[in-house]
Amino acid sequence: MGSGRVGELSLYSLVKSLADNKQLLGMRYAEWCIAAPSLEADIAAAAMGLDDIGHSRVLYGSLRELGTPDGIDESSYANVPYLDKPWTDWAQFVAANAVLDSAFTLMIEALANGNVEVLRSRLKKMLQEERYHFLHGRSWMREAKAPPAIDRAWRESLEWIGPEGADVDELHRDGRLAFDVRELRRLLAERVESTAPPAEIDWAKWDRIRRRTEPGGIDQATLEMLQGLAEKRYMPVSS
Amino acid sequence: MGYSRVHANVREYDVFARKARVEPLRQVGSVVAPDDDLAMAYARATYDEERWVEMMIVPRDAVIRLWAPGESES
Repeated sequence: MGSGRVGELSLYSLVKSLADNKQLLGMRYAEWCIAAPSLEADIAAAAMGLDDIGHSRVLYGSLRELGTPDGIDESSYANVPYLDKPWTDWAQFVAANAVLDSAFTLMIEALANGNVEVLRSRLKKMLQEERYHFLHGRSWMREAKAPPAIDRAWRESLEWIGPEGADVDELHRDGRLAFDVRELRRLLAERVESTAPPAEIDWAKWDRIRRRTEPGGIDQATLEMLQGLAEKRYMPVSS
Repeated sequence: MGYSRVHANVREYDVFARKARVEPLRQVGSVVAPDDDLAMAYARATYDEERWVEMMIVPRDAVIRLWAPGESES
């Protein structure tokens, strides 16, 4: 097993986590399609939800071409804690839209401009759609002033990007990612027009598969919704 | 809460689009937003159901009206 194989496994985990986060983010956006502060924001929430669920499908579809899922529990979601539960305040939507979504987009940019052909060809369209998520999030962030939610989104974005010298930097050295950890952090600050809040991340607690330090995960209702179990109970019983 | 349910200052924007280069741009709707960024995001989200080759927005207050329905040209 050469170093290329190790890189392949890391790339698989990274893209799987990106897909899981995108799917959950899409669902959380869609949950606000009748609860946002204005009709336009309702429609934007629905549209962005559909975009991200679509992106997750493309990312999941690319996984089988990125090696084998050794060591990953396929059934568990590798998502940031921010997406574990439904949001209760529009400020949480705004912070996720502005900061977390931008962090995921930067990783997509890093993959789309890396040397893995399947990702180069499939991810470019996502970046066009994500431009509007970014414009939406940045504009609302100017208005919504939501420091606790923004600080949390920032911190979890940094955790998700990961520590220096770990998989992301290794993938960058191999040319699979166009940006390393430092560049991703810098580009994120530039994009959201703010700097990361001062917070020590305890990297000893970092779960490299789920890309987070906090234990826990999505709640049962979210899991059932994602797996379609919540709807199956309404299906007619087959004879 | 740190935000207002309705934006304090908004502008109206008209949305124009076309499906083919040979077609003229036509007005497909309008959006209300506090700035150009959000107006772009709203226009794209609201009027994205067609395969437009071009879409643009114009702040309504930038439009200079020569005459309106019911008014004479001269």
